Amino acid sequence: MKRLVRSETYARTRLINSGLFVLLGIVVVVRTVGVVGFVWQALPGCVLGAAMVALGAVRVRDYVAGRARR
Amino acid sequence: MAVSAAARVIEEPSLRRAVTPWGSFSWGYSDVGADIFVGLGLVLGAAAGASNVAFLFAGLVYVCIGLAYTELAAAYPVAGGGQYFVFRGLGDIFGFIAGWAVLLDFTIDIVLFAWSCIDYLSKLVPILSFTAHPWVHFCVVLAVIVGLAVLNIIGVRESSAFNELVSGLDVVSETLILFFGFLFAFQPQLLVHTMQTAWPTPFNLMNGVSLAIISFVGLESISQAAQETQRPASVIPRTSISLILTILIFALAYSNLALGMQPWHPLPLDAHGHQQPLWHYLGNEDNNGAAVAVLASYVPYYGALAALYVPVLGAILLLISSNSGVFGSSRIAYAMSGTQLLPSAFQRVHPKYRTPAVSICVFCGVAVVELIFAALPSLSPHVHAIYGRLFRGEDGITFLGDLYAFGAAASYSFVFIALISLRLNDSQSPRRFKMPFNVPFTYKGNRVEFPIVAVIGFAGIVSILVFTMITHEIGRIAGPSWIILGLLGYLLYRRRKRLPVFRSQPHDWRKAQINILQSAGELEMMDEYLVNVRLMDERRQPRSFGPP
Repeated sequence: MKRLVRSETYARTRLINSGLFVLLGIVVVVRTVGVVGFVWQALPGCVLGAAMVALGAVRVRDYVAGRARR
Repeated sequence: MAVSAAARVIEEPSLRRAVTPWGSFSWGYSDVGADIFVGLGLVLGAAAGASNVAFLFAGLVYVCIGLAYTELAAAYPVAGGGQYFVFRGLGDIFGFIAGWAVLLDFTIDIVLFAWSCIDYLSKLVPILSFTAHPWVHFCVVLAVIVGLAVLNIIGVRESSAFNELVSGLDVVSETLILFFGFLFAFQPQLLVHTMQTAWPTPFNLMNGVSLAIISFVGLESISQAAQETQRPASVIPRTSISLILTILIFALAYSNLALGMQPWHPLPLDAHGHQQPLWHYLGNEDNNGAAVAVLASYVPYYGALAALYVPVLGAILLLISSNSGVFGSSRIAYAMSGTQLLPSAFQRVHPKYRTPAVSICVFCGVAVVELIFAALPSLSPHVHAIYGRLFRGEDGITFLGDLYAFGAAASYSFVFIALISLRLNDSQSPRRFKMPFNVPFTYKGNRVEFPIVAVIGFAGIVSILVFTMITHEIGRIAGPSWIILGLLGYLLYRRRKRLPVFRSQPHDWRKAQINILQSAGELEMMDEYLVNVRLMDERRQPRSFGPP
């Protein structure tokens, strides 16, 4: 497990995964607002989407920092 | 030379620092990630169509708490968690209150997760069902608690590798459930319709918010991991932020899915023979203990497979979490005893196994009392009638949820104040991670930063504490009673030992901080700390004009 987590393949998989999170987050926000409109009921969906984008961004930042260290 | 109590604790043989970033994440995940398995059904039962709003409010407060823990755990990487931060920031008596509230949470953690673990297994083994066979359920939960106590006394803990494997499997599993659910069965119109037609009363919404916070409890594991992670100041912020966001995403996604999902196959009719919506079915007494497993079984395509393994995976994760309650309560009591906040009996170790056997037995005993109190209304119709009169008929799992929410809200409130106090009074300690949005100003001659997010988080968690007191009949009495009883014991103990009762003992925090950073391998931070301390001392000393 430790060897897998430290490998370059794992880091790249995480990067792809991060990109998917960002994409999915944007889709969640756009779809929520598109279907529900700019009403307060859309707030939980929008925060969910924003959290997904943030998680993706944090992981991309980690990947970039990791590459800089290597 | 007199060495302070805190320094003595740190000089004792310490834990090996061998936890990797992934290990640190999975450690936190196995603790906090299990909470949604318990919280989802309870919140759906209370907040109905506003469950996602309840999770949103509690989730935003949790983000503030998580950021506070991340900053403090990175600056003070020791395993005491909230209790240590409050002890250091606010002094002995507040350190005791925060630690005592955390101990309440850990004892509830033992029962609640053991209870829920059996609820999840009952989806595969119906004889374990609480509603159908309450005595069997009670005996099995009791056996689990006793078994965990024995394992902890012997000194057996689940390995880090096992934790990592279960956490990894659970992240993949939960992601797949959400993927299939959102892709094939989620209808935004249904979500809005549910929110509009099943909006709860303000009382039920407050109840839901106070229960939603239990989906985010367990952040003590961040500081526990910090104690055993190499270079924690750089690793902990990375893993904690990922952990906080992952848990938030799962909580919001599950609550939105439960309100807006069209079940793949028809739901059973309710007691009156009417059709019922999914969220209602998940929140009823039969299913609220295992809501994630039931929801997973109604997900298109993947549900058939999920129905087979999610109860087992959930049960394992909940068992790990229950075990962390046994482990955490005994270790915190041990640490509090070392700093003379609790009697020395809690430091007594088993002669053969070298584990804090007294602490384990005492807090598992408290957990058993809580279990009896929670299960009694279902075991005896007479007691059920009494509960109905006194506590508006709260069921067992809700009683445990009440106390869990009270303990968490109480201890987290103190952590925010401790963070502000440490920012003002210990500005020399280097912080590799700081909560965002700070206002710089000068305090006692030092340049400090005031954390705005901590104030927002404090307001949020205090409001949740107020909601808990307003809406929970049992929590309103039992929670404060626990704190008052503990305080009385603390006052008697400190008076008998001739220690300051309301004031703090003198602590050599500088020496303690140097030891902490040295043992963490954070030598750059230690050098930075020494320079900051020297500069501060130079500023405070009157300038002399004599020869150097």
